Amino acid sequence: MKRYISLFLTVIICFLLQTAVFQNFKLANVVPNFMVIVIASSGFMYGRKFGMYTGILSGVLMDFMYGDIIGVHILIYVLVGYMNGKGNKLYFKDDLSIPMLSLAVSDLIYNVLYYAFSFLLRGRLNIFSYLRNLILPEIIYTVVMGLIIYKLMHRIEDKMYPPVEVPLTDNGADKY
Amino acid sequence: MRKRTKITVDPKYILAIIIVVCLIVMFVSFKFQDKMTPVRAVVGNVVTPMQKGINIVGAKVSDAMDYVDTVDKLVNENKELKKQLEELSAENKLLQQDKYELDSFRKLYDLDEQYAGYPKVTARVISSDGNNWYSSFVIDKGSDDGLAVNMNVMAGEGLVGRIIQVNKSYSRVLSIIDDSSNVTGTFLKTSDSCIVSGNLELINEGVIDITDIDGNADIKDGYAVVTSQISNKYLPGILIGYAKDLRKDSTNITQAGYLMPAADFSKLDMVLVITQVKDSEELEEMVTE
Repeated sequence: MKRYISLFLTVIICFLLQTAVFQNFKLANVVPNFMVIVIASSGFMYGRKFGMYTGILSGVLMDFMYGDIIGVHILIYVLVGYMNGKGNKLYFKDDLSIPMLSLAVSDLIYNVLYYAFSFLLRGRLNIFSYLRNLILPEIIYTVVMGLIIYKLMHRIEDKMYPPVEVPLTDNGADKY
Repeated sequence: MRKRTKITVDPKYILAIIIVVCLIVMFVSFKFQDKMTPVRAVVGNVVTPMQKGINIVGAKVSDAMDYVDTVDKLVNENKELKKQLEELSAENKLLQQDKYELDSFRKLYDLDEQYAGYPKVTARVISSDGNNWYSSFVIDKGSDDGLAVNMNVMAGEGLVGRIIQVNKSYSRVLSIIDDSSNVTGTFLKTSDSCIVSGNLELINEGVIDITDIDGNADIKDGYAVVTSQISNKYLPGILIGYAKDLRKDSTNITQAGYLMPAADFSKLDMVLVITQVKDSEELEEMVTE
C-alpha cells in the first residue's frame, strides 16, 4: 500500500516538474521527459504490473490536460511500462547502466511512437531532422535527470522497506 | 503469517485489456470531442492549482539563476547601451517625424481603432505543454471569466494563438508556432494574402513558415504581416510578425519564406485574451452570396 501511495506522489511531482518547473530550465529547447523516467524506473524496479499502473496514471494526467484525443499517451506509456517491467529480471539495485540504457530506449520509443501518431499522419516525413533536433537532446537530458530520479526512488524504497526484508514475490515482481 | 488467497492475473492479459480499452477511449473521445470538457475538468481542476503554485517557485529560482549569471554581462552591456542611447536618440527625432505620417496612414487604414477597440483580458501562463512536440500552453482564466473557444490570444502586440479548450477556471491555448497551426495572413502594405503555418523543424531558429503568396506580389523582407479579413478564426488586423528570406517557389507562381513572430515565445508569462470571437457566419453568408 505504501508503495502505491509513494508512486502516486512521485508521478504527480514529476508531472509538475515536467509541465511547470522545467519549462523555465529548457536546454536546447527541450524539457526532459519526467513521465517516462517514472514509468521506466517503476517498471524496472517493481515489475510489469507496476509499470503499467504508473503508465495509466501518467497517461491520464497527460491526456486529460493536454491531449486532443484521450488515450494516445495512456497507450504509449503502458507499453513503455510493460517493456521495462520485462527488464525486471535483470534488476540489480546498484547497477545503473542497464536501467539508464532502457530509459534511453523508452524515451526513444515514446518519441518515435508520438511522432508516428501525430506528425507522420500529417505528412511530416523528415524524421531525421526531428531525431537530431528534438529526440536526441531530449534523450540526453532525460537520462541525466533520470539518474537523479532513479536514485531518489531507491532512497524512498529503502526508507519504506529496509533492504533485507524484501521478499521478491511480495512486491509485484514477476515470479519467473 | 496470515495466508491470503490472491487472484493473480498474468500481466500480459492486463496489457491486452488496457490496450483494448485505450483504443475504445480514443475512438469515443475523437467522436465526441466537444463533449469531453467535463471529463477533462476532473483532472484539470485538481492539477492546475498545483501547477500554478509550483510555477511561481520555478520562475523565482530561474530568475535568481539569471541574476547571478548576468551581473558581469550587465556591466559591459551598460557601457554599450550608453553609446547606443546617444545614437538612438538622434535617430528617434527622425522617426518622430515619420510617426506623424504613419498616424495619418493608420487612420486611412482604419487599423488603429480596430486594434485598440477589441476588449481584452489579461491572463497568466501556468503551464506549458506536456511534451516537446506540441506548442500549447494553459492560462489561468476560463469560462468563469468570460473566455470561449476560438478567442484570440496576444502577447505584447503580436498574435500568440487561439483558445482551443475552455474549462471553468483554466483554458488551453494553441500557439501559432505549433506544427499543426495555420493562420491566414495579409501583408499590411500590399494587402497580398498568405498562409502562416508553424513548423517544428524551424523552432530553434525562432521563425515559422509563410507560404502561398502571390508570385507577382511586390513584397520585401521585413514587411509586416497581420491577420486577414478572410480568416475564420482570427480577428482582422492583429500583427503576426515580419517576413524574412522571401523567395520564389520553383513553380514561379507563388512565393514563400519565413516569418519572425512579433510575440516573444521563449518567455511567455502574461498574455492578453481578446474576448471577442470572430463571427464567421457573416463571412460564410458573404461567400455563399
